[in-house]
Amino acid sequence: MRRLLPIVAALAAMALFGLVVYSVMGTLKSTKNISHKPTQTQALVALPGTVTLVQGGNIYRLSGLQFTEVKAPPYDWVQVEPAPDGDILAVAYASMFTNVYLLTSQGQVVRELLQESSTYYFQNHWAYYPKVSPNGATLFYATDWLDPDDAYDVDFQIQAVPFANPSAHPTVWSTPNEFQGGDVEPIPLANGGIIYAKYAVATTGATYAQLVYASSPYANPVYLTTAAQDCAEPALSPTGTEIAMVCSDNSLQTTTLEVASFNGTSIGTPVVVSAGPLPASPTWSTNGKGLLYLNTLLTDKASPFQLWWIPNALAAKPSPPQQVTADLDFTATSPPIWSS
Amino acid sequence: MAALLVFGFGVSGVSGVVAYFLPAITAALNITHQPTNNSGKHPQATPTVPPTTTPNGPLNILLLGSDNDTKFEPDHVLTQTMIVVRVNPTAHTVVMFSIPRDLWVPIGDDGGYAKIDAAYADGGAAEAISTVENNFGITINYWVWIGLGGLVQLVNDLHGVNIVAQMPIMDDEYPSDLTGNNPYAQARVAILPGPQRLGGVVALEYVRSRHGDILSDIARSQKQQQLLLDIKAAAKDEGLADVPTIAGSLGNSMKTDMSISEVASLLPLAKTLSDGSVQQVIMTGSPYFSNYFVDGQDALLPDWPAINSLVAQYFPT
Repeated sequence: MRRLLPIVAALAAMALFGLVVYSVMGTLKSTKNISHKPTQTQALVALPGTVTLVQGGNIYRLSGLQFTEVKAPPYDWVQVEPAPDGDILAVAYASMFTNVYLLTSQGQVVRELLQESSTYYFQNHWAYYPKVSPNGATLFYATDWLDPDDAYDVDFQIQAVPFANPSAHPTVWSTPNEFQGGDVEPIPLANGGIIYAKYAVATTGATYAQLVYASSPYANPVYLTTAAQDCAEPALSPTGTEIAMVCSDNSLQTTTLEVASFNGTSIGTPVVVSAGPLPASPTWSTNGKGLLYLNTLLTDKASPFQLWWIPNALAAKPSPPQQVTADLDFTATSPPIWSS
Repeated sequence: MAALLVFGFGVSGVSGVVAYFLPAITAALNITHQPTNNSGKHPQATPTVPPTTTPNGPLNILLLGSDNDTKFEPDHVLTQTMIVVRVNPTAHTVVMFSIPRDLWVPIGDDGGYAKIDAAYADGGAAEAISTVENNFGITINYWVWIGLGGLVQLVNDLHGVNIVAQMPIMDDEYPSDLTGNNPYAQARVAILPGPQRLGGVVALEYVRSRHGDILSDIARSQKQQQLLLDIKAAAKDEGLADVPTIAGSLGNSMKTDMSISEVASLLPLAKTLSDGSVQQVIMTGSPYFSNYFVDGQDALLPDWPAINSLVAQYFPT
């Protein structure tokens, strides 16, 4: 019996070794694109002010190097936008529709602004990109328009309602190109007009977006960019004199972040401030100099989206983009809110 | 005694490695080396040109993607995706050539006309291959079939893919047939435009939705090729230890007639390909085809001289 003991021990050790090898193999899996919760990490750079943004259906705030979670109701939050008095406009996603809420900076619901659910299938709606006009009177957003004669034809269009009474009948601001995605990303201007992105499909089959200025509802669109530029996701500087935008090379494999001057009805020659791989959703700093946006790692366009910034985007020679976060996975279709 | 111990630990260690890769080995055996048999009613349908490859010479792979839900009998599914991928290992280039699924062509050997997406449903991979070869004059060396569920799993196993959504994707009648008991269920889908990271389900919605797009199936072909490139980019970050997970989830949703060694020989090329070395070819309507209403359905009538000219350009003999 005593002679068997070493043999049994050796066999047990061998079996254990096999299990260890099996387990070690599992640890060799790529973790490159596995992200953390923001509250489990710190930012790499302390930005001035406070940034609010979305990851995995939750809303987070970055102040200094620290993230905190905004304790909003447990909906699937997919977009945030700034609201008057430091509040937050937030879009909650459900399987058939989205609702838009006004939240305090701490996440409490002030009121539900847009209720888009319905028991009738085709009366459910999407509402995205909510924006309050500079005078605080009007809520603009993009919502789906369904052709009553063709249930296949669904496109985004820009609508507006009184911010104080959002259940009022909406004013339609744009006429989308049918079967071509539609009109999104409204930016209300101080002069009462709006800028938005209009999608279209060329006869060659190429899909593109153009930035458009509209002075009033149903006004003829004034195109600010060309089809070849393929630009969308406009962000207007606090002074209203600069536009940041995301442009595609039409291969749909890379984007660029570009800045151009804006005089109210036309834009100047754009300058590329971030050449790739996938810059998205720019936001200006409150002093109008810095630009915050989401992008992948510069060396890995398949990596999750991180926060990046350019401190002096309007300088004659802007400094290279700086990475603000690592190992996170922000929702790239939600521009960060950057408040002082 | 020491040698015995070393041998014992060696066997144990190798067993650990084999156990770890067992799902990959099993899946690889299930997925690869599938017979190009004819599962349909056209037993004579076989590729007219025997598949031949020269060492390091270009080879053409027919990539087939299908619904694999309960609307269809198992393995008698329409192919929503038909892409001929030409791989040139020497030049390190790839051509992706999408075939519109509604193209009205003779399929099988009885000369009957149908939409080309019916070829696989009618006669399996053999008939899909012979239909492509007979109509386009492209010799197919290998085929790969993937079901929609497999695509979802693949993207999820890669922890998502980054895409630039070419426009808002809106679809109030998107087929919601991958889950639940109703293969005819519908869902409302909205995907915002621009750069973003998508999980498997939304990535599938992106490439599958066509109702709200003026280009319909052409746009779908564009998006399918786009997603393939994005998957390639995401797969670059995966290592050998990730293979069992990915292979395990593809086990029931992927098939190919390539051998394991043939698949393995292509992987290094896939990892080193740059976007610039991939040419995307999509026929966007005129002059390649025109709308055609036949047998009570909308189809696309091919203009073969125009198509043949395009094929000659990208698939030189």
